[in-house]
Amino acid sequence: MARGLSREQLGVTDAMLATFGEAVFRMSHNLQLREGDPIRRLDWAEIERQREAMGLADGQIAERLGLTREQVMFIRNSEESRRFRTGQTAYLLDLGGGRRYRPERVVRLEDRFSYSENALRLRAALRFDAEAARRYVERGWWGDDTLPKWLSSHSRTRPDAPALIASQVISWRELEERVLRFAEGLRRAGVARGEVVAVQLPNTPEFIIAFLAICRLGAVMCTLHMPYRGAEIEALTRHSRAKLGICLPSAKNLFNDIGRTFAEIDCSEPLSKDVPGPVAADPFLLLYTSGTTASPKGVPHSYHTMLSNARLGVPEHRLGAADRILSAAPFTHLFGLYALHCAWACGAASVLLPVFSPKDLSETIQEQRPTALWTAPAHIAAVRAQGLFDKHDWSSLKLAIMSGSACPPQLVREFSERLKGCAVTQLWGMTETQGALYTRPGDALEVHCSSAGRPSPGTEVRIVDGELQVRGCLLFPGFFDNDPANAAAFTADGWYRTGDLAAVDAAGNYSITGRVKDIINRGGIKFNPRDVEDLLDSHPKILQSAIVPMPDPILGEKACVFVVLRNKEEEISLDDVVAYLLSKNIAKNKLPERLVVVAEMPLTPTRKIIKSRLRLPDS
Amino acid sequence: MQEAKQAIFEYCKKRGALAAGIASLEACERIAPPGHRPSDLFPRVKSVIAIGVGGQTQGAWQLPAKAMAYSGSTEVRAYKLAYGLAFFIEQKFGAASVYVPPDLDPEGGPRVPLQSLKLHAELAGIGARSLAGDILLHPEYGFMYYASVFTELELEADAPMADNPCPAPSCVSMYRQIGRTPCMKFCPAQCLSGEIDDKGKQKLMRYDMAACAELTQEYEAVPKILAEAVKDEVRSHGAEGLLDPDRKMLWYKVSAGSGAWFAQCFECMRVCPIATKAPQADPILRMKKD
Repeated sequence: MARGLSREQLGVTDAMLATFGEAVFRMSHNLQLREGDPIRRLDWAEIERQREAMGLADGQIAERLGLTREQVMFIRNSEESRRFRTGQTAYLLDLGGGRRYRPERVVRLEDRFSYSENALRLRAALRFDAEAARRYVERGWWGDDTLPKWLSSHSRTRPDAPALIASQVISWRELEERVLRFAEGLRRAGVARGEVVAVQLPNTPEFIIAFLAICRLGAVMCTLHMPYRGAEIEALTRHSRAKLGICLPSAKNLFNDIGRTFAEIDCSEPLSKDVPGPVAADPFLLLYTSGTTASPKGVPHSYHTMLSNARLGVPEHRLGAADRILSAAPFTHLFGLYALHCAWACGAASVLLPVFSPKDLSETIQEQRPTALWTAPAHIAAVRAQGLFDKHDWSSLKLAIMSGSACPPQLVREFSERLKGCAVTQLWGMTETQGALYTRPGDALEVHCSSAGRPSPGTEVRIVDGELQVRGCLLFPGFFDNDPANAAAFTADGWYRTGDLAAVDAAGNYSITGRVKDIINRGGIKFNPRDVEDLLDSHPKILQSAIVPMPDPILGEKACVFVVLRNKEEEISLDDVVAYLLSKNIAKNKLPERLVVVAEMPLTPTRKIIKSRLRLPDS
Repeated sequence: MQEAKQAIFEYCKKRGALAAGIASLEACERIAPPGHRPSDLFPRVKSVIAIGVGGQTQGAWQLPAKAMAYSGSTEVRAYKLAYGLAFFIEQKFGAASVYVPPDLDPEGGPRVPLQSLKLHAELAGIGARSLAGDILLHPEYGFMYYASVFTELELEADAPMADNPCPAPSCVSMYRQIGRTPCMKFCPAQCLSGEIDDKGKQKLMRYDMAACAELTQEYEAVPKILAEAVKDEVRSHGAEGLLDPDRKMLWYKVSAGSGAWFAQCFECMRVCPIATKAPQADPILRMKKD
């Protein structure tokens, strides 16, 4: 190094480096001390006294240490190299342009972007087709939308407008402040970017604050339906590798050591603005399907897929910032989340109904006067059954979106007639897609009654062998940690097999006619039992029906009908059922060949019948 | 002697220098360490001329730190002026002169200059050491870039400044309240500390140049990165780290030879009231005065 001489030529040993390294470093200019202003004053005595403290040249150090100048030069340079850290200039990148260094707000670059193994694992599940992604971005479907950006935008532009309407009204500004405080609490609890936080809360401000705070940290929310207890919670938190579970105090013991109540996380300090927020390609939701035919599967979604669908859907639903959106569906379910996403896409207020009951829904609509309602057919059927349309004022509604299960045409018709001036539309979606098909306000009543409408913007659908297949900017990338499910769910060219049977009319409106797995193959002749079930649901004695295949040694499968009676005291026989169906001109091969009366059907949180849980009793 | 000095100062002013002065050769020789004295470079030196040119524009102080180092190239202007001055003295007075190379001593490794331009300017009375790592400040012109000329022409030496403008009254006031001046508080490397006495004068200046250099200079990054790569200790897999943006910037500098090795952050000067607000530090105000 020094004058081209090697270390051996200079006679510098490891022991010399260790012995003199620190001294040479300190005596050089690396650490400078100056008392007063001796040079300017030409105070020679002080200049000499302070010479060493102000830093010595190599030759001067050599004299003091009894080494050669070349040895000192070598030792000093080695010591400087040993101490020098690279990458320090990253600190400079955030300085200037009005920003000053403050030690307390410095978040080291490596700390800003550190993903845990679990976070990377989930991120890896976001497999996107590069060509499709390019197309979605170019067409403006995918943008830079994230929930923190939307929240911040509303808070900035309409700070005092209502964001949430519950027992109290919460403005956008207050919502953002509360979100930042909760986010800081989550950060202190160890939640970092990309990690999963399970949430099991009703439709309350706490759910929304927790959701948005999780997003603000770049973490991922996994919702758990309120009825879930120990076994489901344990399975889902394990599969999702949840870092925390935010829940009601009464459920905390179900989460083992990761359970926290909202109050335990909430914090008085806001999250530092230096903590970077998420970007649109980040995952933010990990939802488990309420699939009716298989065990739950983890569906990860990025902001790209979910928020593009909501943003593009808002004008289709004719929603705007002046609207007040009420979801009767739980926010733990995708349909409820879709209500939030649409509200946040346009800055509408969210009217909260903590838990659905026909009476609470009807009263909330009268008191809070929402303009749009997200609801399931079962909700409306229950309201109708209790005569609540006549009891309360529903006139504020201009839009009602029905989804969650097949919607009987008569229910839509009756609901529409009840709510003059309100567009009652149907929506078909899945956890994997959010809103894929829907009818639009302005469509003819018959379209709303008989179909789930047309594809949402950015969505392609096709029917193959009767099955509806979907692809587009809304589609989830694949199940988390479940290769067998992915292999079965996607076609080679990237279409998602929904498992739903569908038909399309000349105007391009799709109707969902059943589930592929519900098809009964009787001696080689396949039929969809859905129309039979629709007829049975109108039988005066029957409240609900579900037809499932039962094994048969000769025909392979036969139809078995499960029914719930309107009046538990009454009785019904298979002959009664068959006679009723024959009177409705049903083909004989579709007739059920066994009847099972049950007290109640197993239902998903969105009130769909879980056919896989209908067990045939021993004959 | 006085006429020559006057002619030299006029030349400097005409070419854009804000300040010029003659440093005492004797003091330079006595203070600089062996190997770095004027006579070590130019054995027949009789005089040391120091010049200062204006630093940043007012707008430049608003730039992000990462861009500040690139906004001026002001030191190059100072060097050009000194280079021309050496020719001017030789042609006009017939005395051998040399523009003092501002470069590092190739024997000493990084951070060891051939000559201390700062020492020359300080002794010539055109700058005084500040609490900000001994960066020189001028009460009228604030923060300047300096260059030097050695000449065999004998010139009468100027005295160092009678007063040191650092610390400014506002900095003293801040120090009294929080124990730190703006430069100490806002240094991203926290390499500055010190004390101010009861009279509001500098009592102690502490400067951790290694920490400053670690943050603001990249001179050792290339071998360090290669050493890490060889040891497979880079922060990403294999040699991937060699290609991250920080490192690629270094390769660019190495291959293009841009010479922009220093990424000085300027944060201490950005918040210094003397550097940015001295009466003639503001180029817009200077223009009005002219």
